[in-house]
Amino acid sequence: MNILTARNLKKHFGGVKAVDGCSIDIESGTIVGLIGPNGAGKTTMFNLISGFERGSGEITFKGQRTDNLSPFKIARCGMVRTFQIPRALTKMSVLENLMLAPTMQRGERIWNVCLRRKKVLEQEQTIKEKSMGILEFFEIDDLRDEYAGALSGGQKKLLEMARAIAIDPSLMLLDEPFSGVNPTLSRKISGHIDELREGGMTFLIIEHDIPAVTKISDRIVVMNEGRVMTEGKPEEIKRRKDVLDVYLGGEG
Amino acid sequence: MTELLGAILPYITTILLFASIYAVFALGLNLEWGFTGLINFGHVAFFAIGAYTTVLLNISGCPLIISVIAGVALAGFFGFLLGIPTLRLREDYLAIVTIGFSEVVRSILLNEEWLTRGPFGVHGFDRPFQDAVPYQHYNTFLLILFVAILAIVYFALERLIQSPWGRVLKSIREDETVPSALGKNVFSYKLQSLIIGSAIAGLAGTMLAFYITYINPCTFKPIETFYAWIIVILGGTASNKGTIVGAIILWAFFSGTKFIDRIVPVPFESHQMGAFRMIVIGLLLMLLMMYKPEGIFGRKEELALSD
Ligand SMILES: Nc1ncnc2c1ncn2[C@@H]1O[C@H](COP(=O)(O)OP(=O)(O)OP(=O)(O)O)[C@@H](O)[C@H]1O
Ligand SMILES: [Mg+2]
Repeated sequence: MNILTARNLKKHFGGVKAVDGCSIDIESGTIVGLIGPNGAGKTTMFNLISGFERGSGEITFKGQRTDNLSPFKIARCGMVRTFQIPRALTKMSVLENLMLAPTMQRGERIWNVCLRRKKVLEQEQTIKEKSMGILEFFEIDDLRDEYAGALSGGQKKLLEMARAIAIDPSLMLLDEPFSGVNPTLSRKISGHIDELREGGMTFLIIEHDIPAVTKISDRIVVMNEGRVMTEGKPEEIKRRKDVLDVYLGGEG
Repeated sequence: MTELLGAILPYITTILLFASIYAVFALGLNLEWGFTGLINFGHVAFFAIGAYTTVLLNISGCPLIISVIAGVALAGFFGFLLGIPTLRLREDYLAIVTIGFSEVVRSILLNEEWLTRGPFGVHGFDRPFQDAVPYQHYNTFLLILFVAILAIVYFALERLIQSPWGRVLKSIREDETVPSALGKNVFSYKLQSLIIGSAIAGLAGTMLAFYITYINPCTFKPIETFYAWIIVILGGTASNKGTIVGAIILWAFFSGTKFIDRIVPVPFESHQMGAFRMIVIGLLLMLLMMYKPEGIFGRKEELALSD
């Protein structure tokens, strides 16, 4: 069963056809890698799917049309995305960044804060413990009280992913999760992504690190110039000469 | 000694009365700007709506407490009305619309005499417990009342800010894309912040009316908005404690310079003195920005952070 189908998406910026008739199907419980050269339109695809950019075409997520929904509603349906350039909430602590994530917190409603203080505090405690667990996994738990703005580029990348995972989404869109992350940790994260997939989560991952992405993906989609150039199993894609040509400019 | 105290005490009471009113007023702005990142350049409109609604209702026979509640509620309601069209747009729209709104409110106060009594203003309304408290102690009583109100507003805001609700506000201030991507209805939170901030300004307006006993359109000039901004920036943006201290400093400064000509000779007429004070405030703010840009209670390390 497909958790996400996108049909004929288009997004043009003036003369630039960033996404130009792109269709993609994501089967539930799989990891799909999205690769392609710089400027192929991968991030723009993410923006369209997650509602941050409006274009044309049809997007169906969990059987529901989402191409007209605002980003927060799409997120509430269980789809979360990370950003290629990580967006840390600068003047909030690392722990606060993470504790923000869980949806439908009791204490997010003003009357609960005023009238049901005890229940709010209880849930805060649970969220805090869970957040600490996630920070430990990403090995940034010692930074919990630092301002997120004080983290290094790679640490911000980790925080970005940690925050997305804290939501427990059914579909995660990761934009270059391994860029700037040290190899040991990126293997560990790959392992965790695999575990989460076993647990039923679905992933669409943009990544330029071809060995890493072909290793964890069940299927690879190759984009070029705003369209899907080809797709298939990782082993097939790795052997395709046209893909190598696009990536290596014909040297491969 | 007691004589000196007797002379100074009313003077200090006056400073503290104004400081508590403006602290409440500025706390509303601090919620909007300091914690949510909303730029409101028409905060005075809500100050005026709170004051006028309360006194006009009271004068037409409405019990005082109900008039106050109505004033606060109406100020909040206008925050809601202004927020609906502007908060979905880029942040500068709110700034523009609120400036315009505060001038519209003032011109209604001036010109719609059937409703607002026009330029002559309103007086003769009730003050809280005016029959129960002896006249000579009334200001002391009012000060206790105002400090209590300030304390309630302060602690309520602190509780809100430290809750998950406040966390969402802060995330909006930092980068609203993030809370959107995490499923938070950013528009709704901004609206809530604006409504509460405006209602608090309305409450401050009724406090002002109770203290000065006579209000007119000139009481609510655009400069009042900038007093609130000065207080927030002086105290340290996003610090409620700083806001209260900022209000005290501003009013101590205002009152101090009012009587300065009695101590040292100044080469100004009294009306020039008002303008001179604004120049000094401007200079002091510039010095603050140069030497302590984070404000009195702000955190210096925050200024060095990058996105
Ligand atoms: N907001 C925008 N305004 C104008 N042009 C844009 C905008 N966003 C993307 N583009 C253009 O659309 C094209 C696709 O960009 P996109 O960011 O989707 O590429 P990408 O595949 O993610 O590339 P990379 O691997 O470098 O991240 C590029 O040519 C880019 O310049
Ligand atoms: Mg990209």
